[in-house]
Amino acid sequence: MSVTVLKKTSILNTPSDNLVLSSRANLAQNILAWIGQSFLFLVTATAAMIVLFIIFYIAKNAIPFFQIQGLTEFFTSAEWYPSGDPPAFGVLAIMLGSTLVTLGAIVVTVPLGVAAAVCLSDILPFSISQTIKPIVEILAAIPSVAYGFFALVIFAPLLQEEGGRLLMVGWYLLAVPFLFIITIVISEMLTFKITHESSRKTARTAALFVLGGSFIALLIFVGNTLGNLTITTGTNALNVSIILGIMALPTVVSVSQDALQAVGRELRDASYALGATRAETLIKVIMPAASGGIFIAVLLGIMRALGETMVVWMASGNAAQIPSPWFNYLQPVRTLTATIAGDMGEADQVTGSSRYHVLFAMGLILLMFCFLCNLVSEWIVSRQRKKLRGEN
Amino acid sequence: MKITTRKMLDRSFSSFGLFSIVLMILALLVILVPIFKRGSTAIVFNGTVEHRRFLLERFERGDEQEMASEITAIQAAQKPVYDMIEHFENRQRKYLDALNEPLTKLAKRSDSIGRLTKRRLKRLDKNKPFLTNVKTIQKLTDRLKGHVDSDNIQAEIEQLDATIQKIETQTKNLVELKEAIRELLGPAPGETRPVLLRKQYGQTRWDRAQVKLHEVLYIEKWDYSNEGMGRKVFEPRVEHFRGTEIEPLFDYMETNTEAMLRPQLTFYWGFLTDKSMDIHIFGGIFPELLGTVYLTLGAILFAVPMGVIAAIYFSEYARPGIIISFLRICISTLAGVPSIVFGMFGLAFLLNGCHLPKGVLAGSLTLALVILPTIIRSAEEAIRAVPRTYREAALSLGASRWRTVVTVVIPAALPGILTGTVISMGRAAGETAPIIFTAAASVAATLSLNPLQVWDQPTQALSWNIYNLCTEHEAANEIQHVLFGMTATIILVVLFLNLFAIILRARISKKLKGETT
Repeated sequence: MSVTVLKKTSILNTPSDNLVLSSRANLAQNILAWIGQSFLFLVTATAAMIVLFIIFYIAKNAIPFFQIQGLTEFFTSAEWYPSGDPPAFGVLAIMLGSTLVTLGAIVVTVPLGVAAAVCLSDILPFSISQTIKPIVEILAAIPSVAYGFFALVIFAPLLQEEGGRLLMVGWYLLAVPFLFIITIVISEMLTFKITHESSRKTARTAALFVLGGSFIALLIFVGNTLGNLTITTGTNALNVSIILGIMALPTVVSVSQDALQAVGRELRDASYALGATRAETLIKVIMPAASGGIFIAVLLGIMRALGETMVVWMASGNAAQIPSPWFNYLQPVRTLTATIAGDMGEADQVTGSSRYHVLFAMGLILLMFCFLCNLVSEWIVSRQRKKLRGEN
Repeated sequence: MKITTRKMLDRSFSSFGLFSIVLMILALLVILVPIFKRGSTAIVFNGTVEHRRFLLERFERGDEQEMASEITAIQAAQKPVYDMIEHFENRQRKYLDALNEPLTKLAKRSDSIGRLTKRRLKRLDKNKPFLTNVKTIQKLTDRLKGHVDSDNIQAEIEQLDATIQKIETQTKNLVELKEAIRELLGPAPGETRPVLLRKQYGQTRWDRAQVKLHEVLYIEKWDYSNEGMGRKVFEPRVEHFRGTEIEPLFDYMETNTEAMLRPQLTFYWGFLTDKSMDIHIFGGIFPELLGTVYLTLGAILFAVPMGVIAAIYFSEYARPGIIISFLRICISTLAGVPSIVFGMFGLAFLLNGCHLPKGVLAGSLTLALVILPTIIRSAEEAIRAVPRTYREAALSLGASRWRTVVTVVIPAALPGILTGTVISMGRAAGETAPIIFTAAASVAATLSLNPLQVWDQPTQALSWNIYNLCTEHEAANEIQHVLFGMTATIILVVLFLNLFAIILRARISKKLKGETT
């Protein structure tokens, strides 16, 4: 900095014709600028190409596995005994584990995340949503190993001892208001067509009672079933799904909040002017307009949950088996990431064996999936950009 | 639909939104509060005299004279316990000695019983451990029972057998009791110093001491009478010693634990600055903290120059086109790569491909890849946020584009770049998966403070050791406070970095606002 300041003052002190560069100096400067620019480009290109190199390198290490073992066993068998004799490398159960856990996380995170985003962008006053933002950031900043620690040391024992009751409370908390609203709305929809005022009222009351009664029966039945559930182990797919759902929340919230805010003020105003309530405006106008961004938020949430290692490694139970029935979330599962993390240490010494390369094949699957998700989200973004440009 | 229903739907929609926000805050509290609450007990706790003795002997911290007077005090308090045990042991010895007479009588017989007894009696030796001698006699009576032919001898042998059984169970119970007491109070006076560090000291923490006291007073048993699930039951240990010299020991220990261990409120800041001893049963987490700091700084060292250059290129030089959008897609893909894949790549390329040693350098490089996209993105945002007028002013003064960037744009964007860097530091400090194969070691020497010496050393790191200790430690129950303390520390490190970034960002936005108006 000091050097440049000195130079500047020296320029100011010299006569004005010295400020005009000779053609040679001009050329030199241009060449220098060009060299500098190409250096910048080179560094940038290197930074960007790293990902291609990663994909290449993982693929290079994965291909020997398929050469030795072929494709069929890998994708169709659920037998995972990499150290057995003969070894079995069926990854079906592990892939199912990853899928289950990711799906569970999405089920937890998407409704909550989108609702929170809507609330932050449209319902809460600006100052309050501004104060809530750091909370979302803290949730995003907590290291995954801390989430894993919580899942293993605090949540798993809780789930094992009080799991049934916890699930029951959760079910009542969510289902009671939801079913209540559904009852009212359905009974209104059913009796909407009846034109006569008093008969409509009686019909509606009747519908209310019938629906309400059956819903209460359902509520109590499911609640009791959940309450009597005994959970044999706290380190299971449910535990991991919930924790991963919480971990993915910040991504989903902030990305979908951005998407919702990108929808212009005019659409909201127009909708309100037509007499729509806030909920109707948001659900029927704003969310469809922001659907691309919300979809990207979901994709990012999926990527976060699928790529997470520590939580699943610590708290999923690491059992390479297909739960029975296959959607049973109360049984331990094993995921791709946890298998890579757990087995690499044992496979490392025998570099070159199928046991080592099979892990890279798993990594390649993860990588390809994330690559695909990324391409889809890029495509959505570019399509939206085009649309906006077209509208303008 | 009726207007009231629509209103109700509207309200319930809003309240679902609020509910989800409340749930998010609740989740945060549920996760953080217990971790911080129990994590703080790693530093603030009721430390016993054993804790102070440990600090004095191992880290040379504390007052020697005060310690000496404290030790005399606790020895006075502990004396009755050891006295009672000694009396009991003497009594047992007397019982055993009393067996000598009938045994020698048996040995004098000329049949097989006599021969057997004679041979066994030779093995008895006062210098051997008491329990060994008891076992020798017990074996003898076992064998004799098979040789008995006449009735009067049978009664004699059975009596002998019953006595020796009684002595054996009593001695076994005593050994268990002594072990439990040693775990609570440390080695008995006069006992040879055990090799294992954890056996050289009693309980250093009052909360653990109470758990151990419970183990002294009660025996844990599993009750399987209920079909299926076993149930834990606690049986008072005193039942084993009814009517012996040891019976009052339990009451004495229960009422005098405080005098024997002298707990007092301790602030153990050494938790952050001491090395761990005997795999975290004693000491602090300094090696882990240092490893995390090295890895994080290393990652920043590699990622920031590259990231900032890429950001400058993207924001100042790049013209939109196929190549640039391709590079951008590459970078956003890099951001989406699962962290474990980075770890695999680091292992396959840096370790197995380039033959780097497993250590700080390889770990830092891998972490640098993880945080590179974040740094590029945030630096680019910061550079773009610099008002156009700055550039125009610099260019109009005749500065070249490069000079404009270096002397005007970057200094103006520096706080923003710093914010991104600090946030990435938090990310790097918390990441585990990329360093599992490239840098982390569960047990390693503490890194040297000289950065040039550490690049090829595998290291402990907070994130890795939290995983490692809570899944693989043999006594994870004993070191709960360390586990929680470590987790609280890593969260606090990350949160402080984020807080710093938030404050920085707030200052920048204030500055920008001030300048535009």
